[in-house]
Amino acid sequence: MKFRLLNSLRRIARPDSAGKTLIAPRSIYILPTGYGFLYAVLLLLMLLGSVNYANNLGFLLTFLLIGLGLVAMLHTWRNLVGLELESGRAAPVFAGDDAHFEIRLINRRRWSRPGIQIQIEGRSPIITDLRPAEAETLTLSAKSSCRGRLSLPRFTTSTRYPLGLFNAWVYVELDALCLVYPKPGKNMPEIPTPEYSHSQMGDRGVGADDFAGLRHYRPGDSPRHINWKALAREQGLQTKLFGGDRAERCWLNWYHLSGESEQRLSQLCRGVLDASSQDIEFGLKLPGHEFKPARGQQHRLECLSALALFGEPG
Amino acid sequence: MRAASHTPLSRLQQYLLLALLTLTALPHVLNMDSRISAFFFVLVVYRTLAVNKAALRPGRLLLFLITLGTVGIVLMRYPILFGREPGVALLIAMLALKLMEMRVRRDIHILVFIGYFTLITQFLYRDEAWLIFYAMILVVALTALLVESNRHAPSPTSYRSLGVAVSLLVQALPLMIVLFIFFPRFSSPLWSLGAETGQAVSGVSGTISPGSISRLSRSSEVAFRVDFKHEIPPPAQRYWRGPVFWSSDGKNWDTDDEGDLAGNDLISLGPAIEYEITLEPTPGNWLYALELPTRIPKDSELKSDYQLISKKPIKRRIRYHASSVLDHRTGRLSEKEQQKGLQLPPGVTARMLDLVAGWQQQSSSDAEIVIKALDYFRQQEFYYTLYPPILGDNPADQFLFQSRRGFCEHYATSFTLLMRIAGIPARVVGGYQGGQVNPLGDYLIVRQSDAHAWAEVWIEGKGWQRVDPTVAVAPERIEQSIDPTLMSDAIGAPIRFIEVNSGLLRAVIRQLQWGTDALSASWHRWVLGYSRERQLYLMQLLGIGFLQGPKLAYGMIGITGFCIIFLTLVLLYRVKERRDPVYATYLGFCRRLQRSGIVRMTHEGPGDFANRVIAERPDLQNRVARITGLYIGIRYGRQDTKLNRRRFRNLVRGFHP
Repeated sequence: MKFRLLNSLRRIARPDSAGKTLIAPRSIYILPTGYGFLYAVLLLLMLLGSVNYANNLGFLLTFLLIGLGLVAMLHTWRNLVGLELESGRAAPVFAGDDAHFEIRLINRRRWSRPGIQIQIEGRSPIITDLRPAEAETLTLSAKSSCRGRLSLPRFTTSTRYPLGLFNAWVYVELDALCLVYPKPGKNMPEIPTPEYSHSQMGDRGVGADDFAGLRHYRPGDSPRHINWKALAREQGLQTKLFGGDRAERCWLNWYHLSGESEQRLSQLCRGVLDASSQDIEFGLKLPGHEFKPARGQQHRLECLSALALFGEPG
Repeated sequence: MRAASHTPLSRLQQYLLLALLTLTALPHVLNMDSRISAFFFVLVVYRTLAVNKAALRPGRLLLFLITLGTVGIVLMRYPILFGREPGVALLIAMLALKLMEMRVRRDIHILVFIGYFTLITQFLYRDEAWLIFYAMILVVALTALLVESNRHAPSPTSYRSLGVAVSLLVQALPLMIVLFIFFPRFSSPLWSLGAETGQAVSGVSGTISPGSISRLSRSSEVAFRVDFKHEIPPPAQRYWRGPVFWSSDGKNWDTDDEGDLAGNDLISLGPAIEYEITLEPTPGNWLYALELPTRIPKDSELKSDYQLISKKPIKRRIRYHASSVLDHRTGRLSEKEQQKGLQLPPGVTARMLDLVAGWQQQSSSDAEIVIKALDYFRQQEFYYTLYPPILGDNPADQFLFQSRRGFCEHYATSFTLLMRIAGIPARVVGGYQGGQVNPLGDYLIVRQSDAHAWAEVWIEGKGWQRVDPTVAVAPERIEQSIDPTLMSDAIGAPIRFIEVNSGLLRAVIRQLQWGTDALSASWHRWVLGYSRERQLYLMQLLGIGFLQGPKLAYGMIGITGFCIIFLTLVLLYRVKERRDPVYATYLGFCRRLQRSGIVRMTHEGPGDFANRVIAERPDLQNRVARITGLYIGIRYGRQDTKLNRRRFRNLVRGFHP
């Protein structure tokens, strides 16, 4: 209860209507660091000494350092004010892996903002020095636990520059999502009857599977198909011909599997990965949705997304 | 704890830390017990060598042994770790140890803090201007090091962090001034100004002998400065009284420390003059005051022979108020005074007796004898010189009848001796005479070259009267100051006085000297000597005299807060970067669409967003396309012209979905 109240009072920097998150002066928290407290103790000692010896030069130096501490506090605060944050891409990951969110820090000022740190609680911080009027993209990593959409957790942007006596920080919440595929499970059961589709090209020596003979080299032939051994024997340039392209095709079928749905999704995910790595043409059958057998990166991503978002509306 | 604080120190950082902290400790180290200094240097040199040779880095065991050794050496010198000297020794030892041990970035903070602290301890010993300058440079450098260590990567240009440090410190200056002025000073100790100095000090001491004052007079060091409340009295009236010498062994004259010689009432015949003196450290306990003092500072005592004696030794610069009457008469002569004022030292010769007997025959009163004696100095071939010839066993006789070259102490002592022979109670008074008025500061500077000695005789009906036999020989001594820089040091050479018209160059140099002394006097007055009284005076001057005691503290906090708020506003104003007006207008466009129910997504670029808007609201196609096209052209293309900006603005203004 108490914490909820605290959370509702907490000031958080959020994106405006155009998706930019500007750190407003009032959203910044600032507290002395351990060094700050040490510095305060030091100044107290110096002040006591100056009073004790009624030493005016001591007073001068003490007051200069007190002033320095206060000015440093303002500068620490100012180092964050007006900083802009933007969320960038986040490449999809498999559940259990770290999701990497790109965060763009934009410094619109004519002077630099050194020592800016962003950190998701419990993860190691990422620090950078922003140059004047430049932007930099950093990557925040967050653990993904289950498939679906992982939103970027709340993180802090903080700085201790210039003297390390104060720590100024802002809680930031950006709208960033990362697609999380199911964790690849155990292998799919053997497919009982592989289905084949015939290559439309037929066996005319332009496939890639079976060696079909040699012919004289013609410009445009792939260098990979040159018969180097023959060249070494000074038999001239010859091109090896291949043929017999026969596309293997398989269906990854939800209904062929048993077990809980998450388990099935994991297994299907494994199947998609295996099939696309072996360059097998595959189709995916899910309750309510079906992907026609195809090949290629695009197809693979579509299938994985469908697995990741299975059961989610929209 | 952030990971960055565990980054190992770079070589440059190590060298800088070693160099800066050695410089920080240097003024102490040069003045410390030689064993501790040697130990410090050995550790620093070793650590410097270890920067490039990781194998030399001290391990845990070695560090432990070094720590034990350090503590041992400090304890050997100072068995009781209490007080200023042992404290500083321990601080320096700690500094050296920390330098030995430094490894990671975190250590920079600790070392810089120790550095700041070491700098302040310097002021316990010295308060010269150069030290302040030196300390300021080191504060800037140490701060720059701290700034640099709080960056993630080293700064692109080498002086960047130095510039940041300077700018931070410049912004801290107003706060420093406010705090300095308003911080309540807790006590009003008379002896609280400046720092105790360990240097040998020169000045008039408790014994004079022929040559002692002339030696002092060759120095142009400042003895004290005087601020008069009203007008500065004329030079002939400026006799600053110090010790009074009663007894002599024929060569040296000494003060009488047998205690008080019974009361002596002073009758004022004129107004009292008030003034404030800033006295530099002097060897004796005498507080100088115009003849004769009536109101005396605290912690001091006025003897019956009008010596003003401080109850504490004057080892540092002090400031005190006093007032005096120039026109006065002293009261009855006590028996003890008469006895002391007539005692004759050994070495009275027949020639002296003859001389005095001659005067006595021609005079009817003591006052006439005094005039006869002064005439003697005036008419015979006496010379006034800073470099008198060295006199033998009976300096008075030799001076009066043979060498006849001497400085004020020769004239004062021999005159006093002659008066005592004539039966007139007499004594020698030491102190300073004259002083220069600084036209730039309207105060008086009295230098060691103004050291002087004169005589006092007791005349029936008038009391103790000042007689300055030097005036008979060199009347200009009283009107002008001696200029030690112009003096030839040949024995018996005539004295040169400061001349008013003497060439352009010298006039310029003199003007510069006045300027620097006025600066240093205000420095002494307002910084080193800023006390509770001064604070009160300043508050009244500023019209806020009601700020006293705790109110002063509130005032200080209030004004400091005001300064911080002002600085914040300045910083914030500079932060409010002119936001790109084109972008601001585009945001306005998005807001207008938002009101009609189409919200731009975070990930949507302007183009994607426009496509979606057109898909949802085909009726807006024309205008949305034009606005988006212009926006993309201005921001990302090459169409950023004044005309386009205006058109873009007008289009968005007229856009009402």
